[in-house]
This record gives sequence, structure tokens and C-alpha cells, in this order.
Amino acid sequence: MLNTASETSSTIRVASRWFGFSRWRGAGTAVVRWLGSVALTLFGLVLVTFAMTRLSPVDPVLQLVGDHASASTYAAARLELGLDRPLAVQFGRYLVRVGHGDLGQASSTGQPVAADIARTFSATLELATVAIVIGAASGLALGIIAAMRSGGIIDAAARIVSLVGYSIPIFWLGLLFLLLFYARLHWAPGPGRLDVLYQYTLRPVTGFALIDTALSGTAGAFRSAVAHLVLPALVLALYALAGITRLSRGAVLEQLGQEYVLTARAKGAGPWRVVFVHVLPNVTGPLLTIVALAYASLLEGAVLTETVFAWPGIGRYLTVALFAGDTAAILGATLTIGSAFILLNSLTDLAVARTGRGRDR
Amino acid sequence: MSVSSSLSRSPDRHGSLAALRRMGLTVALMSAVAAAVLMPGGAARAATPPGVLVVAQSIDDAVSFDPAEGFELTTVQTFNNVYQRLVQSNRDDGTRIEPALAASWQPAADGKSLTFTLAPGARFASGHPVRPEDVIFSLTRAVKLNKAPAFILNELGWSADNVDQAVTRVDDNHVKIAWSADVGPAFALAILTAPIASIVDEAAVTPQASGGDFGNAWLKSHSAGSGAFTITTYAPHEALVLDANASAPGGAPKLHSVILRNVPDSAARRLLIEQGDADIARGLGSDQIAALKGEAGVKVLAVPSARTDYLLINTKANATLGNPAFWEAARYLIDYQGIATNLLGGQAQVHQAFLPVGFPGALKDTPFKLDIAKARKILADAKIGPTTIAFPVFNEAPFLQIAQSLQATFAQAGLTLDIQPGVASDIYAKGRSGNYAITLRYWIPDYFDPHSNASAFAINRDNSHNTVARQAGWVIPELSDETAAAVKEQDPAKRTALYEALQHKIQARSPYVFMLQGSEQVVLRDGLKGYAQGLNSDQVYYDQVEK
Repeated sequence: MLNTASETSSTIRVASRWFGFSRWRGAGTAVVRWLGSVALTLFGLVLVTFAMTRLSPVDPVLQLVGDHASASTYAAARLELGLDRPLAVQFGRYLVRVGHGDLGQASSTGQPVAADIARTFSATLELATVAIVIGAASGLALGIIAAMRSGGIIDAAARIVSLVGYSIPIFWLGLLFLLLFYARLHWAPGPGRLDVLYQYTLRPVTGFALIDTALSGTAGAFRSAVAHLVLPALVLALYALAGITRLSRGAVLEQLGQEYVLTARAKGAGPWRVVFVHVLPNVTGPLLTIVALAYASLLEGAVLTETVFAWPGIGRYLTVALFAGDTAAILGATLTIGSAFILLNSLTDLAVARTGRGRDR
Repeated sequence: MSVSSSLSRSPDRHGSLAALRRMGLTVALMSAVAAAVLMPGGAARAATPPGVLVVAQSIDDAVSFDPAEGFELTTVQTFNNVYQRLVQSNRDDGTRIEPALAASWQPAADGKSLTFTLAPGARFASGHPVRPEDVIFSLTRAVKLNKAPAFILNELGWSADNVDQAVTRVDDNHVKIAWSADVGPAFALAILTAPIASIVDEAAVTPQASGGDFGNAWLKSHSAGSGAFTITTYAPHEALVLDANASAPGGAPKLHSVILRNVPDSAARRLLIEQGDADIARGLGSDQIAALKGEAGVKVLAVPSARTDYLLINTKANATLGNPAFWEAARYLIDYQGIATNLLGGQAQVHQAFLPVGFPGALKDTPFKLDIAKARKILADAKIGPTTIAFPVFNEAPFLQIAQSLQATFAQAGLTLDIQPGVASDIYAKGRSGNYAITLRYWIPDYFDPHSNASAFAINRDNSHNTVARQAGWVIPELSDETAAAVKEQDPAKRTALYEALQHKIQARSPYVFMLQGSEQVVLRDGLKGYAQGLNSDQVYYDQVEK
């Protein structure tokens, strides 16, 4: 992750020069260039994913019709899935459809892929956002304090927490959380997104349980949505926190050894002032990048967490589709995740370019 | 029936040496926390809302809730609750056929058609009356759509070209069903108990049809039936919500809704049922069931299932596998009892014939047991030496565990089984193309008649139809004739005798080794009453359930 982070920050430096965000001149060209590179990246992503679904041993037709089906049923289903045509034609048709905004029909759910993704991605987005807010806030705080008190008790605690976050299998931790907080202590509700009492009576408006329940005006429903989010969000937050703590501690520690810090101290700045006024502005770029990367990896959908907590997110959707050889669903989900990734990266680049100029250097 | 596969992505994010060093600490930490958590206690505190039945299971397999298409466990288990057929299998004794939407029926003198009198006053959940047109629409669309279960109706000789002539209106409350296949009315009735013969509401479906799909796209996630419930919400991989149909011809159900919640992880399902957040849990492992037995608040219901597990041998793979001596030796190289008791703990019984117990004529005797010496002698007499055999197996429990048991016992006779785990559709594809040596399979009857199994295992005249016998490359014109004679036979006692004879022949000599019959274990909350589940996979009934 360290390597990726430093690579990304160098990309960011290149990108900020390239985009020239500080000037309006050339902004139009920059946007066109950006869109071009996004389109190229997504095309490559779809091409590779498509090729991989064709290399997989899964037979999408048999997965759909089962082994008892007659030969004519098999042939009809194959025709319906368009698998009788040459690969290049299949791929071309898919691109044309996507160009028209149609992600196709998912054979594994019988529903339009766009509808499936709208439902599953909002579930993942909600969980990932809450998790990254918790993970980033606590991870940055822990990392910064650990750097300031390097070798102290908090540093040791930070080390243990990030070690635990890194090393414990996430599904095991999820089950353990359920066992402890749900089954034994009864502090948290069980797996799922909402109590059954509300889940199928509230009309989904935005697809985000927190917003929909808040809009419904039913206090119990909102409480239930929050309560159901806590455990899976904590599990994912711990995973995000592990990386964020380590990298932010490293970044701050590195700066604390710089000469400008010595100068600031010589001028009489206290340790908190040194960190918050002098050091932090210099590490905003790397810190933003670290958090964005952690967020992006959560947006892929944490399939194991989603499985354990019966969270109907995009990670499980993609995984089930992979095993069903459901090409339309696999490509649709990959495109969505890829787009989210690119968008997040670009936003981070933009933010870093705007805030990345060091104060003291 | 297609199988949904669950999977786990490796949680290990980095394999550095540092990770190894950390392992000691982590393991210690994990055991400490686990010990704290696993202390006894933690009684149930939650309860599901009154009148609402919450079922925790996996619904990831569901493809379509259109009875003309749905052929997965989740969907077929729903059809009896949402739709009715003209006739239905009795819940306790599936061989008994009872009136449902048809009040009575009359076979023609030539035994090639049946005239049904529709139940007076029967209505769909929409309020529309049940008419002969609905029967015609339902059966003809199922044949013309030609989806996964269509082959069941094809058994009557129906095809897209002739089904319009086969199902005809007599008058306002009579409909005539005729068939060209050489089968009798008893068999035709059995076919009409299959989920694909469900009657859908033509007047409700036709306005939803598009592009000549007979409403298939709409019915994938909606219902238009006369059963005890209707589908109100279906969110794939999330939940299926059924609401009571107060005007159901069979009487209004006692619940006002049923929620099938997708809980993909079986450990999470166990927690939900223990805590009372689910009323029914399905698909728990035998170890989880063992842990729940005797626990307060829950009871385990063991329901015999019509599923049979067998070893399939590809006779065309090589000379050894085509040798009947190998088939015979294989019968003595399986630790039947050990697998049933130790590996499957109550989720299967030893069973060695192609008809499951509960079907008329099923053989209950188990002539084979693990006997390495006898198998060795058979192999030696046939001059079959040590050899390696490719063994593709479903990459999931309990198939891999059974495969490992076979690997251990076959090895004692010099036969090395090369287990090749794969996803279900890949294994099926290998079976169809003959690209395997031996494999583990299971069979679930598609309708409640011995022919469902006999036609799979004992018909293959010339490798032209996709039967299990064809997948084994086993050409059996004589047995095929006997199977055809059995399905034609009108006298029930004679028919049963024919199936017994067929099973004896296949038990003694065939490229199949039948090993087990399944038993389903369903966990219910204590207070639950009226839940019924039958032998066949579609026989799940929520209409009488009370909390």
C-alpha cells in the first residue's frame, strides 16, 4: 500500500501540472483530455473483464437452465444470451448497448442490470461511506498522535490496532462481532440492513437506508437503520483504519524530522502547534490520497463483510454473477466500480492540487 | 435443479514474512476473544412481528418466479404458496393426487386425454375467475417459452407446434387435456402436479406481455396466481416478500406475510434463528444442526427428501471404466455408512436404488457395503491394475468431503482418484460433453412419478437424448423399452412391479452407484405450528403456519 500511495502522489503531482487547475486557460482542453483518458480506461476495463468471463469455465447457459433441461431449451437459452455469435460481435453489441445507456439484462437475477446496480451499489456506498468516515477520523487521529508520541503508549496501541485490522480475517471478525454484540450482549441488531418491521414497508426513495428512513419520519426506522449499520461499518472501519493509521503516522513522523520543524520549535512553537500549523499542511496530499485509496477499496464492495452481515451490496452481487457466468451483470458491476474509482481518484487529484502547496517550504 | 455456489475470497491481503511473525500474537488474541464470546448464555430476546413469518435462507439461486421458467430450489419452493395447479400431490403422501383448481376429472376411453371440471367459484388473487382460457394460456405458454422445466411438459409429447391442439376449452368450466405420447392418464396427472403446470391469471398477465414473451419478463418478479400468497416485493439477493391472499380458493392463510430473507452465511442464519429474529432457518450444516439440537426455543425438523446422490461413471472414458467389473468393484469401495453418519450427520441415509423411498416401488434394501477385499478380487479377476481416474466434483460441501472419502477407499484397491473441484455448471458441461471419467452427482425428481427418475437413468437408445444414461455413454435399448413399457402401464400394481425390476437390474449392473438419499433439516422456532414440507423439492407450504 505504501508503494501505491507514493506512486499515486507522484501521479498526482504530474496530474496537477498537467491539468493546470490554477489557471482557467486550457481548462477546456484539460476536461476533454480527462474525459478521453476516462473513456479509454473504462474501455480497457470492460475489454479485460469481458475476456475474463469468456475464459472462465462457467457455462452461463447450464447455470441458467440446469442439467435436466432439454437440448432445445439449451439452444434457445444460448441464442437468447447471444452466445451463438462470434466474440467480437458479442463485445461490439455490448459496447453499442452501453453507449445507449443500456447495461442489459442480468441472467442471474432476471432483472435489468441497471436496476440491480442501483440497489446494490447504494447499499455498498452507504456502508463504505460510514466506514471511511469512522476509519479516517479515528485512523488519522491515532496516526498523528502516535507520531507525536512516538514510542509511547498510544504509539504501541496504534501499532496493535493497525496490526489487528490488517491481520484478522474480516469475515471472522464480523462473525465475532455478531456473536458478541448481537447474540450475547444484545447491544446491536442482527445481520441485515433494517428490521423486517420496516424493511419491506418503507418505500425506497434514494436507496440509502439512512436517508429513506429519515425521510419516512418514523423514528424507529431511522434508529433501526443506524443500529444495523454500526457493526459492519465498524468492521470495515477497522480495516480502513489499519492502513490509514500506519501511513499517516509515517508521513507525520517523516515531517517531524525536517529542518523547518526544528526552526518552528526554536521559535517556541509547542508540539500541537508544530503538528497542526506547520506539519499537517505539508502532509495533506499524502493523507488525502491514503484516505481516498481506502475509500475506493471499500467501494469495491467487501464481499465477505456483505456475506456475513447479509448486506445486499455490490460485492456480493458481482461475486454471485461471476459464479453464474452472468456477463451483463459482471460487466455492469465492474463498470460501476471502475467509474467510482476513477471519479474518486480524479476528485482526490483535484483536492490535492488545490491544497498540496506546502506552507513552510 | 441448478445449484447456487457460495464462495469465499481469500481474506489474506498480504503474505509477507512479517505477517507470519504476527501470526502467533494474532492467534493468541483470537483465541482469547473467542473464548470470551463463546461462554454459555445469551438467550433469545428478539421476536419477529406477529403474523409475519421470517425465513432465513439463501435466495441467491433464484432466477425467475415465473412458474414456466423457475427451476431453482428457492423458486420451486415458492410456487406451491403462490400458484395452484389443476391437481396437486398430497402433502404427506405425494403419490396421492388431489383436486386443486380442478374439482374432478374424467379420462377418455382411449386413455389419451383427461377432461377437467374447474372448481366452481375459484378466483385468482386479482379477483378474476379461473377459466378454461387460463389453463390453456398457462400450459401453452410454458411449452412455447421452452424454459428450463419445459421438458417436463414435453413428456406428454407436447411441442410448440402441437400444444394448442392438445389443451382445449370444452365449455365455461371444462377443459380437455390430450397428449400424443404413449403414456396413461395417471402419468399425465403426475406431470400436471409439477410446478410448471401452475395456472396463471391470463387476464392479469397478458397486459404485461411484451415482444411475444407471454408476460415472462413481468412474471419473473411478480405473481398472478390463486395460491395462499402473492408476491409483493422481490429484491434479488435481498428478500422475497409474500402477502396473504385472503380470497385464496384453498382458504385464507393464517399469516399475513412471509419474508424470505437472503442470509447467505449459514453461521449468521444460525444466530438469527437462535435469537428469534427468524422463525425458520434453512440450509444449516450438520455441525450447526447438532449444536442447535436440545437448545431452548428452537426445534429441528427432519424431512425426508427425494434427492438421491450417486457416483456416475463415464463408460466411454476408457476401457477400464467401460468394464462392468469396474462398476461392480466400485460398489464395494464406498464407505456408505461412514459417509452418511460421520460426514453428513443426519442429512442423508444410505440408499442404493434410483427411486427414493417414498416413491412407489422404491427398493429399500442396501446390498452393498465397504468391502475392499471383495473389490480387489473383482478387479484382479478382470485384470484391472492400478490406475488414475479423473474425478471432477462440485466445489462445495458436502461433495468434496464425500469425494475425499471415496479417494481414501478407492486408493486401497489401487485406484487413484484425481479430485478436480469445479463450479456446478462446469461439471454439468463435462457430463454433457462426456469429458470426465467419474463424477459425483445428485438427482431430484422433477415431478412426483417414478418415470422422472427412470427416464433419466434407464433410457438411452442411441445417445440422442440428454439423459443421465447418455452422459454415462451407456446405450441400453432393452432397458429403454422396459422403461417405456412401465410408463404406459395403467395397472398401478403391475407398474410398481416393473419399476422394481428395473431398479434391481440397474442396482446390480450399471455405471451408476447410488449411495444416499437426502434428508432435509429445517430449524423452526418452538412456537411455530402448521409448517409442512414434503418429499419432493417443491413441497414447501406456508399457508397453515401459525405463530
